[in-house]
Amino acid sequence: MRNTVRRAYVVYALIAAFFVGLGFLSYSYIVHGQTWVTNRVNAHLYTNRQLTSAGAVYDRNGKVLVRSKNGERVFNTDYVTRKATLHIVGDTQGYIATGIQSIYRSYLIGYDLVNGVYKTIRDGTGNDITLTVDAGLCVSAYNALGSHNGTIAVYNYKTGDVICMVSKPTYDPDNIPSDINTDTSGKYDGIYLNRCLSGLFTPGSTFKTVVAISAMENIPDIKKRTFTCTGKLRTEDGDIICNSKHGEISFKKAYARSCNSAFAEIAIELGEKKLTATAQELGFNRSLSACGVDLKAGIFNMKNADKYQLGWSGIGQGTVLANPCNMMMIAGAIANSGKAVTPQIVKSAGSNKLTELISDFRNQSQISIDPNIAQYMQEIMRYTVKNSYGDDYFPGLKMCGKTGTAEVDNKRPHSWFIGFSQREDMPYAIVVMVENGGSSQAVAIPAASKVMKALKATVVG
Amino acid sequence: MSRSEKLRYKYSKVDVSLILVLLTVFQVLSCLPSVIKDGMLYPLVGLYFLIYIAIEWTYVLVMTIAFKKTNFELECIAFFLCGVGMAVTASIYPSGLRKQLIAIVMGLATYIFMIWLLKDVKRVMKTRVFIAIAAGLGLAASFVIIRFTVGATYGAYNWMSIGGFSFQPSEIVKIAFIYVGAATLEKLQSSRSIMRYLIFAIGCIGVLFLMRDFGTALIFFFTFIVISFIRSGDVRSIAFVCVGALLGAILIIYVKPTVAGRFAVYRHIWENIDGAGYQQTRTIIYSLSGGFWGVGIGNGKLRNVFASTTDLVWGVICEEMGLVMGFMIVIAFAVLAVYAIKISKSAPSTFYSIACVSTCAMLLFQVCLNIFGITDIVPLTGVTLPFVSRGGSSMICSWGLFAFIKAADIRTYPKMYKNR
Repeated sequence: MRNTVRRAYVVYALIAAFFVGLGFLSYSYIVHGQTWVTNRVNAHLYTNRQLTSAGAVYDRNGKVLVRSKNGERVFNTDYVTRKATLHIVGDTQGYIATGIQSIYRSYLIGYDLVNGVYKTIRDGTGNDITLTVDAGLCVSAYNALGSHNGTIAVYNYKTGDVICMVSKPTYDPDNIPSDINTDTSGKYDGIYLNRCLSGLFTPGSTFKTVVAISAMENIPDIKKRTFTCTGKLRTEDGDIICNSKHGEISFKKAYARSCNSAFAEIAIELGEKKLTATAQELGFNRSLSACGVDLKAGIFNMKNADKYQLGWSGIGQGTVLANPCNMMMIAGAIANSGKAVTPQIVKSAGSNKLTELISDFRNQSQISIDPNIAQYMQEIMRYTVKNSYGDDYFPGLKMCGKTGTAEVDNKRPHSWFIGFSQREDMPYAIVVMVENGGSSQAVAIPAASKVMKALKATVVG
Repeated sequence: MSRSEKLRYKYSKVDVSLILVLLTVFQVLSCLPSVIKDGMLYPLVGLYFLIYIAIEWTYVLVMTIAFKKTNFELECIAFFLCGVGMAVTASIYPSGLRKQLIAIVMGLATYIFMIWLLKDVKRVMKTRVFIAIAAGLGLAASFVIIRFTVGATYGAYNWMSIGGFSFQPSEIVKIAFIYVGAATLEKLQSSRSIMRYLIFAIGCIGVLFLMRDFGTALIFFFTFIVISFIRSGDVRSIAFVCVGALLGAILIIYVKPTVAGRFAVYRHIWENIDGAGYQQTRTIIYSLSGGFWGVGIGNGKLRNVFASTTDLVWGVICEEMGLVMGFMIVIAFAVLAVYAIKISKSAPSTFYSIACVSTCAMLLFQVCLNIFGITDIVPLTGVTLPFVSRGGSSMICSWGLFAFIKAADIRTYPKMYKNR
């Protein structure tokens, strides 16, 4: 009997195992609860895997971009606004992975361990988020792209607030095309992709900005150097063609007139290692984060490249690929005397948790340029706008910038513009990337002009 | 004051009437959302609850007045758990409420009968061989019958139906398993009788395997190990048996890959969210959706998932009544185990002691398999949550098992102590 009593303690081992199991369950619930509850099969929050009950998303002026009403998710009442802000706001099914409704879904739903989603179920709504974007400006940018695909984004290079970001192709989330997932003609290719955050495109001459910064870092007398452009640069591996015969040309003018010969020569002189180092400093080959997501990393890989390939890379052709948001951040870094403030899209959130988290990111600088170099880049970019494109496009804006007409295989070139305003009351940087748009002077500059004018009207009046 | 009197004094402090009042209040509140639903009145649901509450009071009153009983801890725990199960059934499957109530009555009757049966150890000794044979053959026969008539229900041959009541024979055999096990090992037996118990255990577990009721087979195996250890203390032999069982399990998986396939989804439920991981993922998602206090009875979503009132009942409780309630219910079983170990120390004889401890081990183990199975912490085996899950045989078995714990309590058979 005594032994029996003593051995009964073996059951304590089971009790201990039970509590270990219960502890593990609690731990899993605490750690993964948010992910699990917000799963798209949760019928409290979704109908047919479409989000139905969650908080609202507002633009900076309090305009409703999306909200829950009567057990349904309703977007802005204006058709164009819906299309223009779709990639920022995100769809209800979660196809647009970088949209606010995807990345801050659980926050919008308002889950916490103590209350579960009880409040969301009771009220049919969760936590609200106010964005930094201006819906009206997004519409202007959407219209500026015209019939083309592409992206336009504008952000405040001092605070990081993204005021405008559009991506095309897009669709109306209130009237989703029925063939959107079945179409094979290619008209919806990449429709769920926010081209600004997740796209990669040949940068063309906008990449000369990167090469110019590298040159200033590595070649002491670069500002005094002159180059001779004969319409092409001969290398032992092949010729790099220039858009014109520039003749004797200074570094500054070579940048302003986008002389390929000069920049190919600079790239070859710098060599693969130094160019790669600068490109990496500026965000290529690594994952930057902005707007709450990891940007698609730009690619600059010139290992074992010959002079011909290196020369082409110096003018942003060949295998070089750039992410539009990254290019905007480079422009922003130059404008902000060398320090790139991380672009952010959330202005404030119902509870402070998210706002705090985001302001932490805001202060992070992921790209930095020597202040003296940034200063000089501002100078030559201002010179470029003034002399090559004309201030008429940007009246009273003290605009600085650089275009790019990026040649791609068998299609019209991508039309780029990166730039910024130097006005104290308008510290905004812009990126315009019109996919297969053609000449940058004819397409990207007018689009940038429209958006910058609208921006001026919005923020300055 | 003798030792037993002291103990009796110590234990009788808990005022049962207060507990009953609280239980009644809880049960009235928990049935209200099902009595008045969507602006409609369902008087029958209320009536069943009233009958249930009346049963609770009647049992306690009769036992107190007629039999001079003072201890009702076990019954109160069982009443509480059954009440929660009733509330879930009333809300999700009101037409099953009558059967559930009948099951509780039958369970209570089994409980009372078992307590009477266990009173006389000699009688237990005499009947054990008969019960072992009856249980073993009954299980085997029911397997054959199910195999060739009813066929598999949800992948296992463990359901049969008699007179509109579907039940699992393996549940009834659980009671016999402890009864025979504890009785066989009551006194230092000859190795022959231990051998007989071993054959009985292997026979039962073997049939359960054929039935593909792996959860119950595991429960039997675990209980067998606990009983053997408490009786013999022979760690080496038990380790030997466990290794043997493990090898056997590996062999089965090797020979029958379909068996392994049933557990393939374990720890991969999220990749099979609409396949084999359906129940587990929904249980996790919805048990968390309610937070600490639940979304309210009737407002859950797990209720729409298959087996919501049986295997997944714990998830429904968490979602609708809250995680606090869900955790309280399962912790009640752990508390019960501690209580059982304590009272087993002063049990009238080794038989009661072993039966009591192995019963609480069996119940707690089953609770573990249930709640950790549906939350993917252990493989899902499809066992019920004792007292709470809807189901007749499970309910009767749970009450029957409780009699083993009750029997070890010194206040149950006070005369045994006087004679000692």
